[in-house]
Amino acid sequence: MRIVPLTLVALACLLPNASIAAGKINPTAVMHERHEGMETIGKASKALHRELDASSPNLAVIRAAARQIAALSVKASGWFPQGTGPDVGKTGAKPAIWQNPKDFAAKLHNFQAEAKAFNAASNGNDIALIRTQFGDLGQTCKACHDKYRSEMHH
Amino acid sequence: MQPVWDLPTRMFHWLLAGLILFSWWSVKNHHTDWHIWSGIAILTALIFRLLWGVVGSSTARFAYFVRGPRAVRNYLGGNWTGTGHTPLGALSIIALLTAVCVQVGLGLISQDEDGLFMGPLARLVSSDTSDKARDIHELWFNVVLFLIILHIAAIAWHRLRGRKLTKPMITGKAMLHPEAEPMQPGKWWMALLCLIGAFAIARWVVAGAPPFGP
Repeated sequence: MRIVPLTLVALACLLPNASIAAGKINPTAVMHERHEGMETIGKASKALHRELDASSPNLAVIRAAARQIAALSVKASGWFPQGTGPDVGKTGAKPAIWQNPKDFAAKLHNFQAEAKAFNAASNGNDIALIRTQFGDLGQTCKACHDKYRSEMHH
Repeated sequence: MQPVWDLPTRMFHWLLAGLILFSWWSVKNHHTDWHIWSGIAILTALIFRLLWGVVGSSTARFAYFVRGPRAVRNYLGGNWTGTGHTPLGALSIIALLTAVCVQVGLGLISQDEDGLFMGPLARLVSSDTSDKARDIHELWFNVVLFLIILHIAAIAWHRLRGRKLTKPMITGKAMLHPEAEPMQPGKWWMALLCLIGAFAIARWVVAGAPPFGP
């Protein structure tokens, strides 16, 4: 019965989302990478928060975390293709992401810009500036999460 | 009508109810910063209540209303003519206060999923512990919620049997059993001292505790 799976593949190719159907993108792999990436960003952010609250922050720790967030923020452009929503698998990504593509792209862009600015600031020695930039970066995380992330329990 | 609940006890009660409601609403609506401040306000109120439970009016004192199993049995048998919390109601009060204390304690050492918000004592523990504390904090709310539902159900049950408990918690006065002993009111300056103590301890916690940080 080879015909059945082949028919399914043929049908899948007719779906509007060509990129996924053609097999270029594996939704499960993307969702996994997204989850791991977001978790890593979260961990880096927690480490940063603790470091920046300390009386004498360790700049090496801050710089490493800032670099990591900046690098992942660039990768995030590929984390939200069509067909990786909650209908496909367990995810905190709301369907609203693909219903408001322009707004979502703008928020993602803000995050990437602030991650870059924070990374640049962290290469300096001005702790006050680093703290301010970290606050601005956090706002871009929150702006997106408030609207496009559902509560996840794991 | 005779006094049963003093003003500090009533204010604590309604403030706690309002703050728990606000804490729930604020966190559901992504106002994590307000949620943390609401928790600190609850902490302040709890410390006040614990102090007032030692030096306040008779019906507010733990030593006065927390009774043994025999008192609970007597109460259930219909032989209770006391003033204030019934021996069974006292257990509910202790359970509620304990559950809210645990919830506040967990919140103080928690951090959010994104690393944007931290409880004032989160830096006293590791990042992993803060994450675990947040998970338990979320689950523990169900315990608090269960006790609140039980509390309201008990009030409704008493209401069906003709005892109104909500109004005395507003006015402070109720019809007492002729043999009941009257409430011994606490001193106003004692309430003030408890309040100052509560604010001082809460301020210390907000600063990050020990010598203001880890």
